[in-house]
Amino acid sequence: MLLSFERKYRVRGGTLIGGDLFDFWMGPFYVGFFGVITAITASLGTALIFYGASLGPTWNPWLISIAPPDLSYGLGLAPLREGGLWQIITVCAVAAFTSWALREVEICRKLGIGYHVPFAYGFAILAYVSLVVVRPWLLGAWGFGFPYGIFSHLDWVSNTGYQYLHFHYNPAHMLAVSFFFVTGGALAFHGALVLSSVNPPKGQEVKSPEYEDAFFRDTIGYSVGTLGIHRLGLFLALSAGFWSAVCIIISGPLWTRGWPEWWTWWLNLPIWS
Amino acid sequence: MSRRLTTIAGGAAAIAGLILLAGCEIGPKDSTQTGYRGAGLAQIVDRSSIAKAAAIPPEPYPLPPDGGPTAGQTYQNVRVLQNVSTERFNHLMAEMNQWVAPPEQGCNYCHNPENMASDEKYTKVVARRMLQMTRTINSRWASHVKDTGVTCYTCHRGKPVPDYKWALAAGTQNPRSIVGNKHGQNTPDANVGYSSLPSDPFAAYFAGNGEIRVASSQALPSSKHIVSIKDAEKSYGLMMHVSSALGVNCTYCHNTQSFRAWNLSRAQRGTAYYGIRMVRNVNEDYLESLRSVFPAIRKGPHGDVLKVNCMTCHQGLSKPLGGVSMIAQAPSLVGPADTVGTRAGEAIPPAFNQPAAMTGRNEPAPTATRQ
Amino acid sequence: MRYQNMFTQVQLRGPLETGPRLPAGSFARGDLATYNYWAGKLGAAQIGPIYLGKLGIASLVCAFLAFEIIGLNMWASVNWDPIQFARQLPWLALEPPGPEWGFTLAVPLAEGGWWQMAGFFMSAALILWLVRTFRRAAALGLGNHVPWAFAAGISLILTLGFIRPMLMGSWAEAVPFGIFPHLDWTAAFSIRYGNLFYNPFHCLSIVFLYGSTMLFAMHGATVLATARYGSEREIEQITDRGTAFERGALFWRWTMGFNATAESIHRWAWWFAVLCPLTGAIGILLTGTVVDNWYLWAVQHGYAPDYPSTGVLDPATLSGAPR
Repeated sequence: MLLSFERKYRVRGGTLIGGDLFDFWMGPFYVGFFGVITAITASLGTALIFYGASLGPTWNPWLISIAPPDLSYGLGLAPLREGGLWQIITVCAVAAFTSWALREVEICRKLGIGYHVPFAYGFAILAYVSLVVVRPWLLGAWGFGFPYGIFSHLDWVSNTGYQYLHFHYNPAHMLAVSFFFVTGGALAFHGALVLSSVNPPKGQEVKSPEYEDAFFRDTIGYSVGTLGIHRLGLFLALSAGFWSAVCIIISGPLWTRGWPEWWTWWLNLPIWS
Repeated sequence: MSRRLTTIAGGAAAIAGLILLAGCEIGPKDSTQTGYRGAGLAQIVDRSSIAKAAAIPPEPYPLPPDGGPTAGQTYQNVRVLQNVSTERFNHLMAEMNQWVAPPEQGCNYCHNPENMASDEKYTKVVARRMLQMTRTINSRWASHVKDTGVTCYTCHRGKPVPDYKWALAAGTQNPRSIVGNKHGQNTPDANVGYSSLPSDPFAAYFAGNGEIRVASSQALPSSKHIVSIKDAEKSYGLMMHVSSALGVNCTYCHNTQSFRAWNLSRAQRGTAYYGIRMVRNVNEDYLESLRSVFPAIRKGPHGDVLKVNCMTCHQGLSKPLGGVSMIAQAPSLVGPADTVGTRAGEAIPPAFNQPAAMTGRNEPAPTATRQ
Repeated sequence: MRYQNMFTQVQLRGPLETGPRLPAGSFARGDLATYNYWAGKLGAAQIGPIYLGKLGIASLVCAFLAFEIIGLNMWASVNWDPIQFARQLPWLALEPPGPEWGFTLAVPLAEGGWWQMAGFFMSAALILWLVRTFRRAAALGLGNHVPWAFAAGISLILTLGFIRPMLMGSWAEAVPFGIFPHLDWTAAFSIRYGNLFYNPFHCLSIVFLYGSTMLFAMHGATVLATARYGSEREIEQITDRGTAFERGALFWRWTMGFNATAESIHRWAWWFAVLCPLTGAIGILLTGTVVDNWYLWAVQHGYAPDYPSTGVLDPATLSGAPR
């Protein structure tokens, strides 16, 4: 069923491919050409994950894991049960995510809004592609990708991190972590500020942006404003994703030793050595 | 104005990126998988940063066949190699000359040329103990050195004092003050891979029996397992040393899903276990036993003898000298385990103090082959 | 390329905003305010005025004291050498007392006493600031959502530095002050307690951390995409929904089948962001007190993946094992 105000927005147009052919909705979901592609690739990928699980020892959702091939297969295709399944699932995933983004573009065009959401989503896709395509390609083997499993992918994170002895010292990782924490803080304060304006103490009136500005100016001397906070939040969140992708791409292709040792450039600067 | 600014900003970013890249390892990499696929267990090494396997010097001359009179019959005051044939004894002496002695001193680094049997030079006393130590390493610690074994060259590499050794750290002048007192940590120290972990992992673990294991064998807390985060940092610092000394990362031995689990660890971890015990044996029973023999320049600020750690032999490779064995050219370095006793060093000083007691005996003139 | 509303192109200048009137008796809002062009490129151009009452001044004094104690201790540790201070700064630290002191309250200064003082002043600064945010919200007639969010963050800091060390009976469990040293603490904590990835509350905390980042990207992007319709006027969109949030809501409904409203997205945001430190604090509290090895706990509860056994035996269990 439609939302109370929805009907006037359900208009024709905005598609990138296919014209009117797939320009319709199924329930609340917009379809579009890319909706069809997403449905196919996502279903195929999911089905292959279930197939891979059936080849494994368990149906426990925490333990199901589809692992990439051995490094010895290099950048070639591996047998299905030896990592080939992982490779096909990865292709399906990249196709599904990209198609999802393009579907979002079609929805933006139909609604007459900016492309900021698919642009932001592109950063998430880039982070995923960095991990399972770019870095393995630079290192010469698909086996460097992470396994598709809830706890097994964490073992990959742990082991890959310890390949560099102490991953916290990776400078891009430091930037990414800082951006993650600041994003969380900023989101808490933005959500809180808006809620505090429209949920005042009992008996009080709903407030206005002047009050929001006053709260932050009174407390920290500056208020970024209603538009600024959304620019800032988007920037912080995308920076977290961006520097995460950088931090893993440089680990291996551009640096192979322990990350603490990277800092010797600072220790050995001519001004003090 | 905005486009010009954008261009300048873009150019500056590109230049900054290039400068940062200059500090990177851009060359080709070698990767080795060290565990189940997709678990992140791998060694990735930049070919240009692999420590060059030290070139092994050729033998001074081919190893003579065994047989003939023993060194104990031919020479005097031979205490360790008395059962080795004289020919092979001389060959070993020539090798030791090449592996340890400074070229300008040669045999005279250890020997008095007028009296080759004399123990008057401390270096000869030390060398005797080192021979016992080497034989012990090659026999008792075959669990670590396997059939490859070690020779004097493995540590000394042609120098009288090995490049890599350690002594107890000087420590802080006033432990009760905050001035100059970092409590042994928070310093960029190569010993711990330039992290800020406690920077002397050697005193506790290589000269004592400090417990390296920190994770519990039980899921729930127990009063039998009281280990602080500080202890974990110290162990971690030791592991940073092991990694750097061998040129490997943590996954060479461990699956970090559980560091402590042996059924997740590689065989190399077992080899390392024995290596650590071997180092303790070397440091405590052989090197420290020479405390009264070594002069002050061979000791640390606290008067303890310079000791070994993983780096002394490995020097950045997972197998010292690239795994090449030198035992074939020095078979007498694999003898019976040290049966003289671990406190043999203490028998030496009286003899050292009375060299005349040995020079009264008649002995043949030094043969020309000993150079 | 079209204008994407990233940076403000035309900045307005008018009288500086003084803000709503505060209740009688408030005297501490200054009138120091100015415009900053570069701030105005991203957000509001006005800097200030700030309200600095007794709570704010006290908090800043405590924060300054903590900062100085930490910095001067670090400087002392390099023998007061200013060059080595700059060079080694990322490695320097002010450490908590060692394990030998247990949870003693007044440890000698050089043995961790300074850390205790710095920790005390930092906590005091945070709590004073928290009360300040409650007062400022009350003075403006706003709800207490910001103070409660801030309290969630403070609870994690206090858990790490005080509550868990107290439960463990050891100050040595607390986090040192220092850039690299606090990272060493993090890694050592995971090594000591059997791999924190297997701590379920650590999992939850990460879910909420990444989820918050995803939500802010989604919400920030949605508002910017509909800014041409006035989406940044969120209060008004809440009380009187306009085409901005109608389009924004429909974007998500058509994309993923459901949507939030102008108000509810901020509730999603608040809870995701606040649950990150709260679940994290629980995970920290349970570690070492209730669970000593998270991997083994996971094995017992059936969620640790198996890898093929390497067949290696613990040499310490073999007879005649060397020490």
